[in-house]
Amino acid sequence: MDYRELAKKLVHRARKKGARQAEAFLEVGRQSSCRVREGEIEDLTEATSKGVGLRVVSNQRVGFAYTSDFDPGSLNQFVDRALQLAEAAAPNKLNGLPSTQDLSNRSHAGELFDPEIAGLPSDWKIKASLEVERVGKAVDPRITTFESVGAGDYVSEVVVASSSGLVDAYSGTYAFLYAMPVASDGTQLQTSYWVDYKRFFKDLESPEHVGRQAAQRALRMLGAKKVKSQKVPVIFDPMIAASFVDSIASAADGDAVFKKSSFLAKHLNERIAGEQVTLVDDGLLPRALGTAPFDGEGVPTRRTAIIENGILRNFLYDSFTARKAKTRTTGNASRSYNALPRIGTNNLYLVPGTKAPEDLIGEVESGFYVTAMLGRGADIVTGQYSRGANGLWIEKGELSYPVQEVTVAGDLLQMLRQLDAVGNDLQFRGSTGAPTIRFAELTVAGD
Amino acid sequence: MLKAQISSANAKVSSPLSAALIERLLSAAMSRGGDFAEVYVERAITTAVMLDERKIKSAQTGMIQGVGVRVISGAKVGYAYSDDLDEPALLRAAQTAAMIAESSGAEKSFKVSREPTPLYYRVATPLSQVEVARKAELVRRADRAAHGFDPRVKQVTATYVDQTKHIWVANTAGRFAQDTQDLCRLGVQVVAVGKNGERRTGFYGGGGRVGFSHFDTFTPESVGREAARQAIATLGAVDAKAGTQTVVLAPGWSGILLHEAVGHGLEADFIRKKTSLFAGKLGQRVASDKVTVIDDGTVANSRGSINVDDEGNPGERKVLIERGVLKGYMFDSLSAKLMGQRSTGSGRRESFRHMPMPRMTNTYLAPGDDAPEDIVRAVKRGLYCAQFGGGQVDISNGNFVFEVSEAYEIENGRLGRPVKGATLIGVGPEALKNVSMVGSDPLPDPGLGTCGKDGQNVPVGVGLPTVRIDNMTVGGTKV
Repeated sequence: MDYRELAKKLVHRARKKGARQAEAFLEVGRQSSCRVREGEIEDLTEATSKGVGLRVVSNQRVGFAYTSDFDPGSLNQFVDRALQLAEAAAPNKLNGLPSTQDLSNRSHAGELFDPEIAGLPSDWKIKASLEVERVGKAVDPRITTFESVGAGDYVSEVVVASSSGLVDAYSGTYAFLYAMPVASDGTQLQTSYWVDYKRFFKDLESPEHVGRQAAQRALRMLGAKKVKSQKVPVIFDPMIAASFVDSIASAADGDAVFKKSSFLAKHLNERIAGEQVTLVDDGLLPRALGTAPFDGEGVPTRRTAIIENGILRNFLYDSFTARKAKTRTTGNASRSYNALPRIGTNNLYLVPGTKAPEDLIGEVESGFYVTAMLGRGADIVTGQYSRGANGLWIEKGELSYPVQEVTVAGDLLQMLRQLDAVGNDLQFRGSTGAPTIRFAELTVAGD
Repeated sequence: MLKAQISSANAKVSSPLSAALIERLLSAAMSRGGDFAEVYVERAITTAVMLDERKIKSAQTGMIQGVGVRVISGAKVGYAYSDDLDEPALLRAAQTAAMIAESSGAEKSFKVSREPTPLYYRVATPLSQVEVARKAELVRRADRAAHGFDPRVKQVTATYVDQTKHIWVANTAGRFAQDTQDLCRLGVQVVAVGKNGERRTGFYGGGGRVGFSHFDTFTPESVGREAARQAIATLGAVDAKAGTQTVVLAPGWSGILLHEAVGHGLEADFIRKKTSLFAGKLGQRVASDKVTVIDDGTVANSRGSINVDDEGNPGERKVLIERGVLKGYMFDSLSAKLMGQRSTGSGRRESFRHMPMPRMTNTYLAPGDDAPEDIVRAVKRGLYCAQFGGGQVDISNGNFVFEVSEAYEIENGRLGRPVKGATLIGVGPEALKNVSMVGSDPLPDPGLGTCGKDGQNVPVGVGLPTVRIDNMTVGGTKV
């Protein structure tokens, strides 16, 4: 099926039925994955999927419908439904699709499609996951079982067409490997995980690496205990640092800022962190998982510095919010076919510093190195941050014993000011990346 | 992980696939000699209305339909799905799933027959047939009530979402079950602004497997006012004190404590793989004798109820912990088969794109004898937790957290100042051993919960009477 033609046809029909503007966003994918257990396949999944979402603007009202049924008869009804729904919404003169200017200057995102992943034999994932499990188990006899070990690949196509004359598409790939081992010492069970997602097969970490990392992370937690409540320096490993920068980026959401529902709203162009803190969203980062030539409404993606050397420089916008806030979209409309666009990041990362993570730890007399967290924890309206945390206690500059059942809490603005060191070990496990980071002082709650 | 987010009368809705086609698919799925095959057909229609900045921002609807084919061979599972309902595409999916079995089994035919299903929810008019204008009116009324509650209410976001989902499940054991599952939820989020620009949020909502008339009694005004009340009540809150305290949980949505602290750890896949700290503890004491925990898929019209699970087995009521002693786990059919048990009707999945796994339905704590006011009165110093955000658990070490969105200091048996930024953390069985008082005021949550496991979301219910827990770690910023 020619999906560009289909998307154009839907837009055309919506216009004919009275929509002033219409936009079709279509996704087609082929996925395959497997999990293994004790040297055998646990399950194998293969599938194809497709879907299209149609956004219409009629009398300044927005209607939206999506469907996975591409039967021509049902598609006609589906267009009518989107138009009917618009009648239930309120008119707003700011409603509308991106302007022609917003859609111009098409970006070049580089290669997103890896023929090697598209052509992987169906047994690669079985062999790779079996290897992850074998290596993970061999690390130590205390690795007793796995919650899950698996691998998979995905090939997708995204097409967008709109009444502004836009028709664009891209194809992408990714492959992944993961392990969630359980370590046991007879009295305690501890789990951990390690995962890698990459657009290109050559960039994917090896099964040996994934298995070993996961096992070591679970093993070092055996014997974990609570500590006393105290204020100490706290270090986040790259995985936890990535979830922290995700919280900061969600407070840079232009819609939350416009509604003054973000703790960052009042601080544009102010210093909110030290020189060493630069937080960037880059939709064009070569080979990265979140890279794409255009966003969820067809606007070219770009690089936007949210925080630059400690100064809050930019918020993130889609076209509707940008019109409200009297600014321009930053190409951050994020969506899948079954939802309206909302503001999100492409590839978000904290720019690495120069110090090795060992040096960040080495400078701490007594503190907490966090490697896992529980709960959502961050409230972007108030800036409160409070999450369950596991990790290792730092004594005299060295990782000493495992800690669990404590929380780490602070205020996001204060935490940014307390962020006193950024490591040189930037890692992406997905589309958000960060190096090791250190806070001069946070509250650890325990006994 | 549980987060606060976002059926009709079993009238014969005709399956998009004929029984004869389903039987041919089962036959194709078994063509390489599997032990068991299943065909799951789904058609779901979702409608949503969103209000923001005092206006209906958008109204939307969506439809997904598709078929998942599962083949089990020993402990191995093959799964394939298709959203293309043409016979050749479906046969390809069945043959793909069949590949998990390795012999060249002979051509076999299978017969399935419809079985009557129980009816725990009955909705006169499917929600998908209620006019969208009426749904829009609900969120507008909620918005007006929230703004009208107090001038300090500055931002209100209100969302109404419903779904009418039809499922058909047939398997090589001859079972063919059908269910219609209507589900709706109204949710309101409020931001209030106090002195010096202080901002507090409130959230409330609810619904269930109910008809639209549910909102005649569970009015949008009551929802809007409650969300506003929470935001206003916590203005001027003091920082939570970090450390061990006695906590009292208000009844209702606080049931996420059970969901996280013990519920997930009693799901049979974790037990079979020995990744849960509750594995091998059947018959042992895992909680104080005041604790009886039940998972019940048969509660009338509740968000987590199921007439049949997503494997076609009837929903059940199961006692998991009785007076502190571990009595049972929650099984889907695969874990049941591999562990020599029977399914407890706990096999659930998000959609045809997912394999079923053991899941909770409505999980609640049986009421005790203590009067709720006596529970607070008996605490000299502690924390009263009135409203909650979400929670999460690590089922291996048992560590769980849940976020308290509205809390008050307890001083000499009375509620004092509001407290902000508190998170409770504990280890499941230890926390339940510290349950020292259980109220006589059981309360189900208003229909808010969505549980995420392994990337699959399913609607669930929880419930708890007023409960006192000693020695609970409270996370906060003040040492």
